[in-house]
This record gives sequence, structure tokens and C-alpha cells, in this order.
Amino acid sequence: MTEVVIIGAGIHPFGRFDKSAEEIGSFAARAALQDAGVAWADVQASYLSRMYLPATSGARILRRLGGTDMPIVDVEAACASGGAALHQALLAIRSGECEVVMVLGAEKMPRGFMDPRMIYADWQIEMGMSLNPAYWSMRAMRHMHEFGTTELQIAKIAYKNHKNSVHNPNAMYQKAFSLEEILNSPLVCDPIRRLEICAPDDGAAAVVVASADFARRIGARKPIRIAACVHTIARYSADFRCPADSMSATAHNDGPTEVTAAKAYEKAGLGASDINCFEVQDTDAFCELEIYEELQLCPLGEGGRLIDEGVTDITGKHPVNMSGGLISKGEPVGASHLGQVVELVTQLRGEAGPRQVDGAKVGLGHVLGAGGNCAVTILQR
Amino acid sequence: MSGRRAVRDGLLVGNLETGEEVALAGTGCRICGEVTLGQNRLCPNCGGEEVEPLALSAKGKVWTYTVVRYPPPGDYKGADPFRPFALGLVELPDGLRVLAPLSCAPEQVRIGMDVVFQPRVRPDGVIQFEYAPAGEEAAQ
Ligand SMILES: [Zn+2]
Repeated sequence: MTEVVIIGAGIHPFGRFDKSAEEIGSFAARAALQDAGVAWADVQASYLSRMYLPATSGARILRRLGGTDMPIVDVEAACASGGAALHQALLAIRSGECEVVMVLGAEKMPRGFMDPRMIYADWQIEMGMSLNPAYWSMRAMRHMHEFGTTELQIAKIAYKNHKNSVHNPNAMYQKAFSLEEILNSPLVCDPIRRLEICAPDDGAAAVVVASADFARRIGARKPIRIAACVHTIARYSADFRCPADSMSATAHNDGPTEVTAAKAYEKAGLGASDINCFEVQDTDAFCELEIYEELQLCPLGEGGRLIDEGVTDITGKHPVNMSGGLISKGEPVGASHLGQVVELVTQLRGEAGPRQVDGAKVGLGHVLGAGGNCAVTILQR
Repeated sequence: MSGRRAVRDGLLVGNLETGEEVALAGTGCRICGEVTLGQNRLCPNCGGEEVEPLALSAKGKVWTYTVVRYPPPGDYKGADPFRPFALGLVELPDGLRVLAPLSCAPEQVRIGMDVVFQPRVRPDGVIQFEYAPAGEEAAQ
């Protein structure tokens, strides 16, 4: 099978800007091309990952780089859009149709809570079921009930991610908070607090993906291999994230993260213990704790112990969200997974500066959201 | 008086005008055995067509819950001005868990507590539903 590598990565900071999607998107795409040492005219196809931008945004944004007749396709799969777009690039290259592909994630999000009609039915909105954090919080409450996970353990995850973000110039909030400040921030939906959830914002991130042959021919600098890129949606009743209205009490299917990660580990021929650094979907702090278990970093119910023992700290055995995670970067939905991929490429190249994970060779990016859309990408140097 | 309707088509059974024997509608699948919320033509689990309409049990237990402390976005029809409320995932003996507001004070809610189905008629004639504490829990 054709080996596929990332030869260039670029990012526009995540945050809130008085700039158009065209501006921030083309900024990240240009940065990725420059990093790859590839001309726009050499790129053979492009995929834009986005959820909230209007139709044909890929063409609108990338036209700024110069006239082209390549196919430019918008890809949408909620929070997993970036994984779905990267997967398309992988297929395009493996098919032999293309040698060099641009994958861009870009988003400009509405302020505050998103328009619920994007994902909920009218009756759910009328009955008060349209606040996204409610779903994450109900999972947290159940986990606390079954396994004794504590509010302090959940707060420790937010503490870690905010602390990591201080060293990430591309994060929206680059501010450390004390555990006390986090635990004293207002409850949004019990037990999740204001400083433990991510906010929607704007941002863009891009990678230039190529066949390993192409990378060799141009003498690409530090190519990073895509060992796996998998996108799935949740099986029946396997996830009660929005917009669920009910779930089975009798059918027990593995959750979307478990299923996607298992497929990705198999494709990569690697397990959780082989992975040196992770960027995962911390929509809220509890979500990250649960993902530890679902990615098999620890057995079910022991996510709290993992954070207590510092395993996922930047100096721990399996650092998670070195970039500060979505809690500090914000979540520009279409750009979030590509943002993780850019962070992992930077880590695997050994160029992450003060947030560098020593000797990182393998990294994993994970996103999960509406409709049970989940993507896992494993990168290897 | 007429014009009462369920908040979602196919969500409720019973006499919506008088409120008699109103219950949540469910669908049972003869192929995989799953019971799902509302009237469904196809089983959401296996896609099978051999399904039968059911009325779901009124009694259930809180499987998990949260307290919604900010007004939900969109056309929320709950208390105005907004009051924090508990939202629960209620497990029914029919084999499914249903998401719904809980009518009691948020601090009264516990995982495992017994609750009972309650239709609620809104001023606009639309019937939605919630769960209220049952038995001993209601007496407290
Ligand atoms: Zn079925």
C-alpha cells in the first residue's frame, strides 16, 4: 500500500478575530505550503474541513492562493470533520490519483452557544434539551456514581490543559488557572464548570499530504507518516451525546472512541502503550478523563487515577493535550482536528519548544462530537 | 376544547384532549427485541420492519442526570424567567432510557431514584412531558 506522509503543516491561531474565513484559512494553507516547500500549482486536490461555513467555502478560501482547476471539496462530519477530510486525502493518494493533496480545516464560529437547530429537533429545544454540556455532564455524573470519580479529578484535567496552553502561542487562552479557581468557577451543568469546558471560536490549520515517493523526490524536510486515519460514527445506542433523546438499556455496543481507536491501532500495528503523545477531544474536562479509558490508556473506571498519578502530564508517560487542548484553544469545529495534527507534527519533528515531549516518535489525535462522529489519526516519525 | 398536540408527532399515546391514559409511545422490534422511543416504522437498531407500537411504562428510575444552570439556546418553552432544572436519563423497565426534564427541585434528584411519567400541557396546547419523584421520594 502506498505510504502517505505529511510534508508541511501550518496554523492560524485559534481565537476570536475580525478576519474572514478566507483570510484565516488561506493564511494556514500558505503556511503549510511554505513549510512543505511545495508550490500551490503542484497540489492536485484539496479538501476543506468545516461545519459552520457556507457552501463551497473550500473554493472561496483556496482561490486566494491563485487560480486552479483542481477539485476542491468541502467535508463535514461535525467535530470529526478534520479526520474525515484527512481520510479523503489518504484515499486520493493511495488510489494513485494524486501525489500531493492539501487538507485545510477552517472555521468561524458564532459567539456563545451554537444555533441548536443545527443538531436538535424542535421538540428537544422546546423541552430544554439543547444545551450541549448537559450531555457531557450526564456522562460525568454516571461515571462518578459508578467509579467514584471526583470533581477534583475532573478539575485536574482542566488545570493541566490550561497550564500547558501557556506555552502555545496559537491557543485562545494562554492562561494558567489554579485548582481553586477552576473549582470555584460557576457550574454550567453539574458537575461541569465554566473553566472546564471549551468555547467555540475561529481558527484554521492545514497540512500538505503526499505519497512517500513524492516526499523523497523533493527532499521533504522531516516527513511524518500517517500510520492510520479512521473516521466512524457511533453504533446504535453507543453514545448519548447530543442529539440523543433515548438510548437502549439492553444493547451494549462499544462507544465511538473505543471502536475508532481499535481500528486505528490495528491499522497502525500499534497499541496505546506505543504512543508517546496524544491530542484528544476535551470538549469538557470529564470527556478527556473518559477518553483515557476508551483509548486504552487505563482500564474502565480508572481515568481519575491516571490524572492523579500525572501519567498524562507533559512530563508523564503518556502526555495528553500538550497544546492546551480545546479547553484553552477553543473549538473551531472544522479546524480542531487539523490543529491537533499540526501539533503532533510539530512534536514528532521535535520542534515544540517548551511544550516538547521528549523523544516523541508516535502521536495520536482524537476528535468526537455530534452524531457520535469520531476520528482518530496516528502519526509516526 | 381541541387542538392539543404532542410536542413531537408519534411521541405520545392516549387521549390528548382529556389527558386520559397519556403515555410515551414506544416501538418494539420483533427481530432484535429492542424497544425504542416513539412510533417508528423501522427499528433504529436493526432496520427491521417487523415492529409493533407500544405504550411505555410510566415508572422509571433516574439512571443519570445533570442540572442545567443556563438557559438552553433556541426556543426553550420552560420557566420564564429561566430557573435551573434537572435533566435526567430515566431508565424504564421496557428496556430503554429516556431523556426528559425532572419536575422536582434539582437538589432532590439522586441516581437510582424512582420517578413517574407526567404529561404537561403548555399554555399553547402542546403536550410535552417530564418525570416527577414517585412513592416515598415524592413524600419527602
Ligand atoms: Zn430491531
